[in-house]
Amino acid sequence: MIELQDVSKKYPTGQIALYNVNLKLQKGEMAFLTGHSGAGKSTLLKLIALLDRPTQGKVLIDDFDISQLKRNQVANYRRSIGVIFQDHHLLSDRTIFDNVALPLMISGMRLPDIERRVHAALDKVNLMSKQNDYPMMLSAGEKQRVGIARAVVNKPSIILADEPTGNLDPGLASDIMQTFLQFNDLGATILIASHDQPLIERMGKRIISLQKVKSR
Amino acid sequence: MSTRQQATSPLRSRITQHKEAFSYSLAHLWQNPVSTWITLAAIAIALSLPAGLYILLGNLKTLTDDNREVPTISIYIKQNITEQQAQDRAELLSELKDIENVKLIKREDGLKHMKQISGVQDIIDTVGGNPLPHVLVVTPRMSMFGDSDIDLDELALRLKNYPEVDSVQMDTEWVQRLRAILNIAERVVLVVGFLLGLTVLLVVGNTIRLNIENRREEIEVSQLVGATTAYVRRPFLYGGIWYGLFGGILSLVIVHSSLLFMIAPVNRLAELYGSHYYVSGLGTFATLIILVCSSLLGLFGAWIAMAQHLRRQHAMQDR
Repeated sequence: MIELQDVSKKYPTGQIALYNVNLKLQKGEMAFLTGHSGAGKSTLLKLIALLDRPTQGKVLIDDFDISQLKRNQVANYRRSIGVIFQDHHLLSDRTIFDNVALPLMISGMRLPDIERRVHAALDKVNLMSKQNDYPMMLSAGEKQRVGIARAVVNKPSIILADEPTGNLDPGLASDIMQTFLQFNDLGATILIASHDQPLIERMGKRIISLQKVKSR
Repeated sequence: MSTRQQATSPLRSRITQHKEAFSYSLAHLWQNPVSTWITLAAIAIALSLPAGLYILLGNLKTLTDDNREVPTISIYIKQNITEQQAQDRAELLSELKDIENVKLIKREDGLKHMKQISGVQDIIDTVGGNPLPHVLVVTPRMSMFGDSDIDLDELALRLKNYPEVDSVQMDTEWVQRLRAILNIAERVVLVVGFLLGLTVLLVVGNTIRLNIENRREEIEVSQLVGATTAYVRRPFLYGGIWYGLFGGILSLVIVHSSLLFMIAPVNRLAELYGSHYYVSGLGTFATLIILVCSSLLGLFGAWIAMAQHLRRQHAMQDR
């Protein structure tokens, strides 16, 4: 379960990204985070992924306040969640296989197990044939699917996605959402930030709307 | 927090990660062979100088530590003393507690030896007969030259007082001077070694710093998907060890090649002095010390570079 209690985030520049946000996401739930540009969607995901810390309030995962985690515990936490970034964050000098295998290598998994898991993840996103290619050889949609495969290869219980369908044509965007639905069916809690209102409305899932904080 | 990750034994994970970092860092070293060779050459040259000086010092020390150079005292027996009397004195002297042994060189043996030296034959023929006295070569009881347990001057004076003795000669001053110079040289080698060790540290540190810059994206993405600081640091530390170790091996190749180049003229010079002196290289222990030290310097240089990077990164995250 993901829970945010009175969470605020203020940057050193004085800009307030989030103000007093309260949110509860049940285990196995899939929800969309929507709002205008600058409303704080990405910031909220970053706080849950511990890529940033709130200036106020608590972020609870299964009733544990992750803001209390020390720097050396953060890595363990990040391995337990899957994050999909809008700009993919793929390593250009490694093959698709190696990119997807990265979280497993970090976990210290043995090569036969890595191969099995990576093939399963690539199969789920229909990219098995591309495993020996490099990211620059793929289309934007394919890169996004590689990002999804990398996020789910560790079988995380929580998946966070920041604009996973941004810059994709409607057909591809719909395919990617179907992929998320499949993971949700397998029990993963999924929170997706998106500004594609028509697409998320079609999904029939909970929509959480964030309002841009006015300057204070 | 729950996760459906498959449980992997922590020890097995750690071993797998070390294996991965080991092979990855080794492979990465040769992805850019030109810059790697330049770095290795810089390290090797920095290590070759103290190693070469160490060999030179070791060889010069052999000269002074050698048994031939232990300060033997030559006692020249008076001309009217017979061989038997000289032999008796030798036996009496060898019983003294501060004398290791006494060797009698009979005047006839002395003459034979003199005749073997080219150019001396004619002089001996001119003099006629045997002008040489019996000589007692006394070796004082001391393990090495420079031992202060025994007062050589006092011993020489005592020996001179025996009635059979004509004169006593102790020609060891040059050894003492050379030893004093070598003591200074030993310290110079230590200072040079320290400074060049520091150079290796800086060379490796700077190379690893550039590697970190080149792989910044990889580090960041790895951290985003859960890499620990240890995981990020590990391949760079192995990289530092590789630079140090291979640089050390290359320095040994340079030092021994130079030594091979020098052996022939040194041996020729030794022959001219009638010596059987041989140039010695680095022993197994010294070789191991160089390789271990260079690897440790590489590791330490990499550690410093990585620590700086992580400190900067943490400072930015805390902002």
